[in-house]
Amino acid sequence: MRISCPYCGERSLDEYLYIGDATVTRPDPAGANAQADFYKYAYERTNPAGAHKELWYHSAGCHAWLVVERDTRTHEISSVETAKDVALKRNVAKGGA
Amino acid sequence: MSSLTLTPTNALASALNSSRSSVAIAVLDGLSIAHVAARKGQSAALAARVKELFGVTLSQTPRIATGSNVSFVWAGPDQWLAMARADTNPDFERDLRGKLEGLASVADQTDARALATVRGPNARHVLAKGVPIDLHPKAFPAGSAAITHASHIGVLMWLSEADDTFTLACPRSYASSFWNWLTESAVEFSPAVGE
Ligand SMILES: [Zn+2]
Repeated sequence: MRISCPYCGERSLDEYLYIGDATVTRPDPAGANAQADFYKYAYERTNPAGAHKELWYHSAGCHAWLVVERDTRTHEISSVETAKDVALKRNVAKGGA
Repeated sequence: MSSLTLTPTNALASALNSSRSSVAIAVLDGLSIAHVAARKGQSAALAARVKELFGVTLSQTPRIATGSNVSFVWAGPDQWLAMARADTNPDFERDLRGKLEGLASVADQTDARALATVRGPNARHVLAKGVPIDLHPKAFPAGSAAITHASHIGVLMWLSEADDTFTLACPRSYASSFWNWLTESAVEFSPAVGE
């Protein structure tokens, strides 16, 4: 499996670390339902057979965090974005800065 | 009527071909090195300031930009490794920090990295034994840079714009392992190893 880093170009898997599910966001620890929200966040994960968005870290390269959409059945990669861009878009969508 | 002229070739001619031993490895010393990281939102202002100060355009892609007294090699998004001769720039990092105040964080790396150069027709064959990226001139042309690993040791490497010389920078604590790998990988090419 090879991942195309938006900064470095296509690199082999041994330069990356798999970090986890990119579809979940850490709940607010000060929120009213923090305990229940954290339980869901930590344990109630889907395990899709097919397209999945995942966080990968280019640890032996540029140290960028990436959001990679990968087919868990074939390892085919359909998109790679920097986690920074994904977070910025999410903030804009929320009406933040 | 043929104009073709045949010349006899000794069966061992290739054994005498000097290119079989043409790789040179050397320690690169005498540089002041500083890591430069653009402050949030200051990337364009930093590039303008560096251009004004050194006449160098900071590369936003993995490449090296060389000016008359200083080089900036891409070292990650919005980060560069700045290098200058130590003898004429003894306070390089402090000077740079002052000049880039408010635009970039500057940290001294002079004693943190060990640098080696590899050049010659077999340089790519030597490096290919431990570097996993494609170093063919079509994939890694003059002036290219990359952060990757060499024999599992993290390196920042680049190919000079001028003279087909590869430079590899590894963390100081890995220097002797790195050097062992590099020189052992070159043995089959009878390398010229310099200081
Ligand atoms: Zn990268």
